[in-house]
Amino acid sequence: MRRRPRLSELPVLVAAVATAVLLAVMLYYPVASVLAGAVLVDGRPTLEPIRSIVTDSFYLRLFRFTAYQALLSTIASLALGLPGAYLLSRYEFPGRRTIRSLTLVPFVLPSIMVAVGFAAMFGTGGPLNRALAAFGLPPIELLFTLKIIVLAHAFYNAPLVVRVVAAAWETVDARTVETARSLGASPRRAFLDVVVPQLLPAALTSALLIFIFTFMSFPIVLALGGLQLATVEVWLYDRITSLRLDEAAALAVIEAAITLGLTYAYLRYETAQAASRSVARRTRKRLFGTLDLDRIAIGAYGIVVLVVFLGPIVSMLLASVTSVSGGITLEHYELLFARRETVVGTRPDLAIWNSLVFAVGTLALAVPMGVVLSMLTARDTLTARVVGTLAMVPFAVSGIVVGLGLLQTVVFGVDVFGYRVQVTGAVAIVAAHAVGAYPFVVRTVAPALASMDDRLVESARALGASRTRALVDVELPLVMPAVAAGAAFAFAISIGEFNSTIVLVEGGDAYTMPVAVERYLADRTLGPATAMGSVLLVVTSVSFVVIERVGAYGGIE
Amino acid sequence: MRRRTFVSVAGGSLAALSGCLGNGGENGNGNGGNGDSTDTRDATETEDGGTATPVEDPTITIATYDSFVDGEDPVGPWLKSEFEAEYDATVEFRTPSSGINQYIQRAQQGAEIDVDLYVGLNVDELIRIDEQLDSALFDSLDGEIDGSDRVRDELRFDPDGRAIPYDTGYISLVYDEREVTPKTFEDLTDSENAGELIVQNAQQSDPGVAFLLWTIHEFGADGYLDYWSDLQDNDVRVLGSWDDAYNAYLNEEASMVVSYSTDQVYYGDQPRHQVGFLNDQGYAQPEGMARFADAPNPDAARELMEFMLRPDVQGVIAQKNVQFPAVADADLDEEFDAVAHVPPEPVTFGYDELAGNLDGWIEAWARQIVG
Repeated sequence: MRRRPRLSELPVLVAAVATAVLLAVMLYYPVASVLAGAVLVDGRPTLEPIRSIVTDSFYLRLFRFTAYQALLSTIASLALGLPGAYLLSRYEFPGRRTIRSLTLVPFVLPSIMVAVGFAAMFGTGGPLNRALAAFGLPPIELLFTLKIIVLAHAFYNAPLVVRVVAAAWETVDARTVETARSLGASPRRAFLDVVVPQLLPAALTSALLIFIFTFMSFPIVLALGGLQLATVEVWLYDRITSLRLDEAAALAVIEAAITLGLTYAYLRYETAQAASRSVARRTRKRLFGTLDLDRIAIGAYGIVVLVVFLGPIVSMLLASVTSVSGGITLEHYELLFARRETVVGTRPDLAIWNSLVFAVGTLALAVPMGVVLSMLTARDTLTARVVGTLAMVPFAVSGIVVGLGLLQTVVFGVDVFGYRVQVTGAVAIVAAHAVGAYPFVVRTVAPALASMDDRLVESARALGASRTRALVDVELPLVMPAVAAGAAFAFAISIGEFNSTIVLVEGGDAYTMPVAVERYLADRTLGPATAMGSVLLVVTSVSFVVIERVGAYGGIE
Repeated sequence: MRRRTFVSVAGGSLAALSGCLGNGGENGNGNGGNGDSTDTRDATETEDGGTATPVEDPTITIATYDSFVDGEDPVGPWLKSEFEAEYDATVEFRTPSSGINQYIQRAQQGAEIDVDLYVGLNVDELIRIDEQLDSALFDSLDGEIDGSDRVRDELRFDPDGRAIPYDTGYISLVYDEREVTPKTFEDLTDSENAGELIVQNAQQSDPGVAFLLWTIHEFGADGYLDYWSDLQDNDVRVLGSWDDAYNAYLNEEASMVVSYSTDQVYYGDQPRHQVGFLNDQGYAQPEGMARFADAPNPDAARELMEFMLRPDVQGVIAQKNVQFPAVADADLDEEFDAVAHVPPEPVTFGYDELAGNLDGWIEAWARQIVG
């Protein structure tokens, strides 16, 4: 890894400072205000709350189980996602790019909605068991078991594998494969020795992210598994709702220490792996050709995808057009849109509008933040890794803790030089979404920056371009596919964000689509909730396709 | 909404603004502040050239739970329009997702509360408030609310008279009579009913905690964990919220679920919607309303509380909120009476029995379930 040019110029510096300030106000300060409870009791430093947790055998079991289910979930996500990455990167077929865009959809589906979809699809009397019965097979009891939690986690996270690994697969240099083949390597040998090492960083990136996500899993576990399968996050949520904030803080500190440690280890690994290279693309095979083993395997994979991905989504769509008596109806949608006139209650049009506005705001904030942080962290130095790790705090700290921290500080108001400073409503939500989304931009842009040929920037600089100019004219266009992917991620995160949004909405008018789904679920019938969920699904699917197509770069193409 | 009100007050006059700030910041018990806030409003509205009469149109802000205002034909919007038609006032709702915690934390952080009424308070929340806060979050309204003497005695759950019950639910089982016929607590641990019961997590669900307390009422603080151990051996499912549990039940994952005895108001007398009173009991869970000590409009809030206790209003609250009225003389539809079942023997714990015990009971239970 070579040295990168210094970031000394004004525009870059201003952007870096602005990013730091935003992070301090919307992330570090609020989170620190909660976590302080773990090490301060009545204003005096102490280790008592943390000590009481690590010496409690109940908590040791809880952490062990949480790690175990996260490991299983990670393996399942990889198993489900890697064939998809292979398919998307090595085969050409109609609708390939659209399917690519749609891999973001699971990120925006509210987890409670997914839980309902999974229960409907895989439940005792669900379509899966009915299909099995039609073939004379015994039913599978999945609900309330670890299996369904792992399956739901795979539903959420396999698309991440597909996206990240497919991007890496597309940049595998065709010449290296050809060289290996011309030296006598079998296709299998060439794959193992040449392709796999180039995919490994991407696969490990996604595996690590998924481990961290599923380690902190919460609504899925609660809704599909119940308290018997509780994770650390479930317990943490209870500590907060019962206002045992010291214990919650201690738990969150331990959880964050584990996940931040993993993040640091991963960053070490990632930067060590990154190498400068230019790429000759390999041509894609056509999917619809002569039937060979590959294509049969792909067909089998297609069936699994239909069951695991489309099943729950179709179940939700069906529920939205099914009346209480079981017939087909549009009454739920009518009810949804009749509500526009109501004075109290949650208006669907406002929820859709808010979601879109916040997502655009999130894009505008998170993408520049992410690019700036990528530049700061794309070097292989200790400082870069520490900054990089700190920048990943939103991954490592429980969303519930971030929400609580925001609530108790900037939302309730903070005294600054005698003035009470308060951030509420849309601004706070956009900032919170941006904080949650920028790590995804960093994680897609930083590896692209790190693996760029440094000579390009050096040449531009030698020819008299300023650092900013080199960034704008040389580096950014080259990593634009990664930026576009990061932008789509940011959009998806904003649309689907729930934990901090619901805290910040405070029962006001800034609710989003996922919040609306949750509110409609409080009613006894699934109708309006699934109708709203379906609207959410359609709005966001269309948005992604548009973002990736109109983004002029068409994703990583 | 709140911001708009604030800006219009601030724009009216500087004196009004300072009065407003003083009111929010210093006024501890609310009662002394009544005059101030009324003055502030008068000054503003006169300058706006608005109304002729001096005291007009206060906005009463109610904090409550989602389903009070949202869903199919909820009670909140009805209450708003009826009250506004009879009184010169505007009613607004807030539905903080963290419920009463929102206001406990606000009080702890010294942040403005700016809400008049909390509607949907139960006894466990009252206990949490008293454990967390030294200062009074709510006014004591003993004897101040006309009609509160008509509230049924067995529903009163606040010894200090802050929370006035406005309705009550009875926790019971809802079951599928084609599969099971649960009559007693022992039936639930019968191996014949293995895997057939879904309950809510008592850490975060009202019916969940009510069902747990019901078992403590039945087996005592020394015996309930043993009973739960038997339930666990019989493969009981502890799901998160009422939604989670009831959705699982609707998906036919089990043939019994903990819910409310008003289930048939939604579903009618269906085989899958039978109401089961274990040992002929049902656990009563009254809901109360309380006025914040710092309420910006204490008088209007009191009028709304009195309105909610009127016999005709009580009848509609019960039907739309699908609970039972808090007063004996409510005007109820006969139809509602026919499908909403009252347990032969309602049981419940009072404030004094729960204070100091509740947290420990739930904690021990949750640790046993997680295992």
